[in-house]
Amino acid sequence: MLRKPTVVKALAFALGTGTILAFAAPSFADDGAMPQLRFEHGNFAPAQLSVQANKPFKVKVTNGSDAAIEFESFELHRERVVPPGETITVHMPSLAPGSYQFFDDFHHEVPKGLIVSQ
Amino acid sequence: MKAALVSFVTLLAAVQLLPVSRSNPPEEGNPEAPAAIVRLLKRACYDCHSNETRWPWYSFIAPASWLVSRHVAEARRRLNFSEWGEYASDPDTASHKLGEIADQVASGKMAPWYYRAMHADARLNLAERQMLTRWARTSSAAMRSSD
Repeated sequence: MLRKPTVVKALAFALGTGTILAFAAPSFADDGAMPQLRFEHGNFAPAQLSVQANKPFKVKVTNGSDAAIEFESFELHRERVVPPGETITVHMPSLAPGSYQFFDDFHHEVPKGLIVSQ
Repeated sequence: MKAALVSFVTLLAAVQLLPVSRSNPPEEGNPEAPAAIVRLLKRACYDCHSNETRWPWYSFIAPASWLVSRHVAEARRRLNFSEWGEYASDPDTASHKLGEIADQVASGKMAPWYYRAMHADARLNLAERQMLTRWARTSSAAMRSSD
């Protein structure tokens, strides 16, 4: 039979652990949030997007301009048209640590952006 | 005149020593297609748009080798059938690529005229053009997601 102080300690431990997990849960959810890129005024924002290495992810690309853009990356093997005012979801593979360039193939004057995997 | 000719031949010999990339990296998956389509793609497209390039004899002689090497590198960057698995991991990218194949083949822009002039294999007759276009359009529609 367990002694009373042991039961109290066990209850306190369970309560403490539960509290920590309850507060920790939102930060796990934040880690899983989908990165976003927005094209507006002739630029991608942010120009550099950081993602976790070695883990597949998705990127939302929104075209806030009034002309279609083509989100393209040779290194990432991605090529998608984004009509004006629309948002698309691009599935990305897990990436080795490094920098991967993307650009708008419809407007070559647009500065190129980077996805940085780390 | 003789000195100019000697200089030219010497220069031509010297440029042969410059390294040129003619690599055929390992395959990473090809598109799924009926055998007839695969045969057509391999015959007419794969020399530039895959890692299965059959390097022609003139690709070993500078300066032609520089042009061929650059042409193949650019073609592979735009579309590489040997890396199809990478495109297919984003189904809408694969769908877009297939749509572009259909447009380029249907309009006669692919293969380019200067390439067709030198490579009989890249010339498609009307029936082949239609068959390839139909396959690419159908496959493109099937891959498109509802995003």
